[in-house]
Amino acid sequence: MPTVHLMTHHRPFTGGEAVVEMDGGTVGAVIDALEERYPGLGEMLRAGSSAGIDGEVHAEPEYVPVSPDTTIYFLAPLVGG
Amino acid sequence: MTATENRPTYKYVGTRPIRHDGYDKVIGKARFAADQNLPGQLHAAYHRSPHAHARIVSIDTSAAANMPGVKAIVTGDDFPTLDAKHPNADTAANVMARGTAYYHGHAIAAVAANTRAEAQAAAAAINVEYELLPAILSIDESMADGAPLANETNHTKFAPPGEPSNFSTITNLDRGDVDEAMEAADVVIEREFDCAHVHQGYIEPHACVVDTGPDGKASVWCSSQGHFRVRSMTADVLGWDKSRVKVTPAEIGGGFGGKTTVYLEPIAARLSEKTGRPVKIVMSREEVLRATGPAPEAKLKIKIGATKDGELTAIDGWMAYGVGAFGDMAGLIGAMSIASYKLPNLRMETYTVLTNTPKSAAYRAPSAPHAAFAVESVVDEVALKLGMDPVELRLKNAAVEGDLTAMGMPHPRVGLVECLEAMKVSDHYTSDVPEGAARGMAVGFWFNIGEESSATVNLNDDGTAIVLTGSPDIGGSRASMALMAAERLGIDVYSITPVVADTEAVGFTDVTEGSRATFATGKAVVQACDDLIEQLKDRAASIMSVDADQITWVDGAAISAAHGGSEGGEPLTLAAITAQAKRTGGPLTATASLNAAGAGPSFAVHCADLSVDEETGVVSVLRYTAVQDAGTAIHPSYVEGQLQGGSVQGIGWALNEEYVYNADGVMDNASFLDYRIPVASDLPLIETIIVEVPNPAHPYGVRGVGETGIVPPMATIANAINAATGVRMTSLPMSPPKLLSALNKRGK
Repeated sequence: MPTVHLMTHHRPFTGGEAVVEMDGGTVGAVIDALEERYPGLGEMLRAGSSAGIDGEVHAEPEYVPVSPDTTIYFLAPLVGG
Repeated sequence: MTATENRPTYKYVGTRPIRHDGYDKVIGKARFAADQNLPGQLHAAYHRSPHAHARIVSIDTSAAANMPGVKAIVTGDDFPTLDAKHPNADTAANVMARGTAYYHGHAIAAVAANTRAEAQAAAAAINVEYELLPAILSIDESMADGAPLANETNHTKFAPPGEPSNFSTITNLDRGDVDEAMEAADVVIEREFDCAHVHQGYIEPHACVVDTGPDGKASVWCSSQGHFRVRSMTADVLGWDKSRVKVTPAEIGGGFGGKTTVYLEPIAARLSEKTGRPVKIVMSREEVLRATGPAPEAKLKIKIGATKDGELTAIDGWMAYGVGAFGDMAGLIGAMSIASYKLPNLRMETYTVLTNTPKSAAYRAPSAPHAAFAVESVVDEVALKLGMDPVELRLKNAAVEGDLTAMGMPHPRVGLVECLEAMKVSDHYTSDVPEGAARGMAVGFWFNIGEESSATVNLNDDGTAIVLTGSPDIGGSRASMALMAAERLGIDVYSITPVVADTEAVGFTDVTEGSRATFATGKAVVQACDDLIEQLKDRAASIMSVDADQITWVDGAAISAAHGGSEGGEPLTLAAITAQAKRTGGPLTATASLNAAGAGPSFAVHCADLSVDEETGVVSVLRYTAVQDAGTAIHPSYVEGQLQGGSVQGIGWALNEEYVYNADGVMDNASFLDYRIPVASDLPLIETIIVEVPNPAHPYGVRGVGETGIVPPMATIANAINAATGVRMTSLPMSPPKLLSALNKRGK
């Protein structure tokens, strides 16, 4: 099952858990599963997140495929100037 | 240049051809937005709020409408109100006030007239009745319990729905046990810092010409870092479909993040729609400073603990960024940018707060310079306390692949150690400090981003090529696109014409920001070239009457094993293939689009020698070196230019630049006479050392370089001033009056 790392402002939804395991074949499916277990978290993640997936940062990662040994870091959207 | 990995041998990548747009820029033929003129065009001018915060009771345009030359006037009522959750709701409210003026200079109305002077006269004649509201003019005021609201439409992000707030973000980052680590530390240094608003200082003011035709479609020419974003924002503000807006990017005279949004285009489009004539708007320098986005101001507290042998064990921080009248995430991003050291224990409490000042815009690695000023100053103090060389201390703690960033994700392959090693052996760092001077150094980091890019490569029948991309060229990226295409296709770089195409001629491309263009758009160019190579091989197979799998592409030509391959037989050059394009199937063209992942972060290490005139507080920078990891420098001259430009802007930020507001929230120094940016005579030539630790996620190893260069300078200068005088400056800018005052208090 993919391993999901959450930023601090995500953790109020998980009772403080920073790392959770959540099933899904894509990042979007993982977000759906997170929303089901932790109502409100999925909505926040979709409202504005990038994701670090196996070492690469993806913007709008909804349909990025993941495997059971993928590690996902949900990050604030990265910006620039 | 210092290459640190087994670098492939390239024929074109890494060379320094004269940029394709160079001649026009040198002889003055390059067309910037203000150079654009259309037959029958009108000129527009703004009526701007004289108050920092006020409800607009009424706007009377009757006198203005009857003045000579006036053709149309628009106010907030001429634009739809976007839902509060719309991603461009704040942009819409910023380009033209709707019911409330949120800062001095906020646009209230705009007039289109035959001449600019007529428009300005009419704009001044618009009569606005205001109800003054309490103005929030500082971070402290914004954060105070019971503070009035700077913007009653703002709600805190990443929080459950609640009441309007002055807080845009309240977020924390943490790992490990900071309190335990601090308790166990041999050395603990804690300091407080503050940074004033600064402007990006682009030489070219915002400008546009918009022609809205009778079909309701607007053609826009503008100065912008991203014309697709101009299209989106303009369409959204107007309530139009995107297909009604076509944007042609002009050459840009600097942006640095400040031109990643819109101020003028929707207004010009509406005025053009109302008048049936093109409308031109060019901001004055005063308008740029009063009404476009500066970088945020900030207050920071940083505490770092270390062992006696120099291991940085913990960092505890508090950061508050003031972002003007509309929200963003500056505080969170500032904390996330702390990524240079292993720091097993970390706690950052961060805030982004609103004030009644112009809406902040990005400025080259937004939020990171403030954070680095604070962190690198404290790290310097740790080194001094321990009697360690500052480079050695940083080498001992430098983040490498797998170490955690502040945002929690492990670093990919990064080059901080290589940059520190390059500084350590550099001519600058190994040379004696000049007499009467002192030396300081600091490091910096920026994530860099990927995002969406498209590229189309068309081959002409004579073997030349056109490379179309949607990335406005703000630093030489056209030359880099041509170099990457030349390398991939195997043809001369001057056989390639790189073009920044309009929004109807190339696929969607995100803004030139986040140091993304050479990385992300470069990837799209390479992908398109790879597609073309497969097509060329197929065509060659037809010409040579062999199977396509017999063809390889080598050095710009098709080689057929059946025709002798590498042992003999004539290669079929790209030009020879394109000459037969019509006979073999038609034009040769390819397009690639992607959402680029894997942007490689870039680290920088800076060093400065300077002297301080203790009678005046004036700092003279005598020598300055910028080391930075470029991954692979596609065009080294333009990488060097980015390093130099970022350094100079950071030095200006360190020594002179600040917004000076009076008690009414009016900027007192809204001109380049009084807002003092460095000029060529102020500084020595910035020496550069490019380190190359290739980014595995790019076909040529590119890391973005445009932003990191502005991150280390403030701490570099502060550390050198401390070395020179024993005074730790913690407030930016370290301008002569402030430094003199600090020197006079020294030892008291």
